[in-house]
Amino acid sequence: MGPGNVEGMDPPGGRFVFRECRKIIMATGKKARNLAELAELAGQASANSIYHHTYEYFFSGHIVEYTNDFAQWVGTTLEARVLSENLSNIDPFRHSASLDSLREELLGSISRYVKKYGDPGNVLPGEEFYFQESVTVVFPAGFRALNLAEFLMAIRTVDQQSIYYHFYEGRSRVKGGIDDFSRWVDDTLGYKELALDIRSIDPFMHSIEGIRAHIANFIEKALREEIEVGGI
Amino acid sequence: MISQYRGIAPKGQLELLKILGGKLKGRSILNINSTKAGGGVAELLHRIMPIMAGMGMKGRWEVIEGDSHFFDITKKIHNALQGNPEKFTKEMWDYHYEINRQNAGNLDLDAEFVFIHDPQPVSLIRFKKNGHWIWRCHIDMSAPQPDVAARIMDYASQYEASIFSVAKFAMLLPIPEFIVLPSIDPLSDKNRELTPDEIGEVARKFDIPPDRPMVLQVSRFDRFKDPIGVIKAYRMVKKYNDCILVLAGSPAKDDPEGEEVLDEVQNFAEGDPDIRILLLPPFSDTDINALQRLATIVLQKSLKEGFGLTVSEAMWKGKPVIGGAVGGIPHQIVHGVNGFLVYSEEGAAFRIRQYLNNSDMLGRMGEAAREHVRNNFLITRQVGDYLSICVGVENAGKAVIEVG
Repeated sequence: MGPGNVEGMDPPGGRFVFRECRKIIMATGKKARNLAELAELAGQASANSIYHHTYEYFFSGHIVEYTNDFAQWVGTTLEARVLSENLSNIDPFRHSASLDSLREELLGSISRYVKKYGDPGNVLPGEEFYFQESVTVVFPAGFRALNLAEFLMAIRTVDQQSIYYHFYEGRSRVKGGIDDFSRWVDDTLGYKELALDIRSIDPFMHSIEGIRAHIANFIEKALREEIEVGGI
Repeated sequence: MISQYRGIAPKGQLELLKILGGKLKGRSILNINSTKAGGGVAELLHRIMPIMAGMGMKGRWEVIEGDSHFFDITKKIHNALQGNPEKFTKEMWDYHYEINRQNAGNLDLDAEFVFIHDPQPVSLIRFKKNGHWIWRCHIDMSAPQPDVAARIMDYASQYEASIFSVAKFAMLLPIPEFIVLPSIDPLSDKNRELTPDEIGEVARKFDIPPDRPMVLQVSRFDRFKDPIGVIKAYRMVKKYNDCILVLAGSPAKDDPEGEEVLDEVQNFAEGDPDIRILLLPPFSDTDINALQRLATIVLQKSLKEGFGLTVSEAMWKGKPVIGGAVGGIPHQIVHGVNGFLVYSEEGAAFRIRQYLNNSDMLGRMGEAAREHVRNNFLITRQVGDYLSICVGVENAGKAVIEVG
């Protein structure tokens, strides 16, 4: 599972090297017309496919109302609101140890919904859920930071895909489910409070630009406190 | 060449191109299709070949030759794969193969990466010498005629990988099927920045008032683009808000219904001085660019669509688009974030009114639209995808590839 072991920084104690990733999407040729097919195919889908439709949902612009592709399809195409809310409430980062437990939670939600409300039926041709996979290409984003001021400049400038890579994908890459940014300011620079501030940002409730703005504000606050003199 | 996109495309996309360019420098890439003039494939190759050459790759573009009988057959294959029934005989398939065999004898097929575009040259795979062969299918194969699909699949399955434009256009193949979404070139006449003078000149030419909101749809006069539905939506809006409507496009010469649809639209709009129906000749790219920049809101209220790149073109100019939820349009519009997806004339009218009454939302979503295109639909991303796939086929089976 996860996009591998590529670190977001040089060896411990070093500078932060911003990386980013590009997702090359792959079709599987499999598609679901209704909830029964969605459950059946999600049960058989590769770990890569489950990862793609959940964790990677945040990679591109998305509707904040949903948190994964399954919830979005169920909400917007099947119009099964209750199930869509249930699926959106699933936190993939709580399953970072095993994609199978994430898959089970998805299937459990669908199964409970169908038992209670029945299957809403087939969608129109062309509106099916298309199961996909992805190949991740990871590369240096062209920015690096040695201290907090440089880090702030870079956070404001790097591409959205770099914010995604370190803030979202970092959680599934490294044990502990912590993003790369807060890990670096904590472990390397020793800004404990700033690290906690960054970790307090709810990853599901913002667009990537919103995440960028929050992180930049927290860093600014930490820097201001450092340079301000006087007790007023 | 890449440096021309600096400050326009995201830095990361250019970094990736630089890294992949270094990795693939001196490698040979061969593209084969059926024409160098006309059509989206030729337009794409004309744009990406110089970029790849500028990165140090040895790119070649070859075209297969055939007589009118061959191209009649390939036209029928194209139609059948898009779901329009056609009759085929064994003789037709044999002829298709025979022309490809002749071309294989005439063309130099020696390259490290070979991209074969669409079904016309698909059977060249039988004459593969070396290298990684990838079949690039640009057409919608979601509901093909089964016997034709089976024949094409038989050839396509012999490739190392395939590429489709959208997941829903793909067919079930036993080889990796990559998805590469289309893109726009921000440096082309249709999308480049224009000076205020250039924009003003077009406004004067088409009598566009500078002080009234303008709703625009750019598309050929085709029933699938629903121009009548657009006028109906505009009339619903006019009960509440002032605006003008511009329908700009070319008559669809290859469509026998084109003239008829244009007549219908002109009759339906008759008597309303606030509706402008603009018939643009071919190569009106700068005019279209200026119209999109002059617009307050852009519509693409299609009932059926391929990918619909006019949506990204308008979004690139900072315009939120109200689009029909068909074809590739939902890939470009994130509903409620950078535009709206609609399902009816009433839906389109409601969203136009929302924008006209909320300039903050209009500006915010327009800005999000431009950023979405910048991140996802510029040609630099598409070239990066192609080159990543080249690296991907050399690292088959890896879910993560680190470069640089």
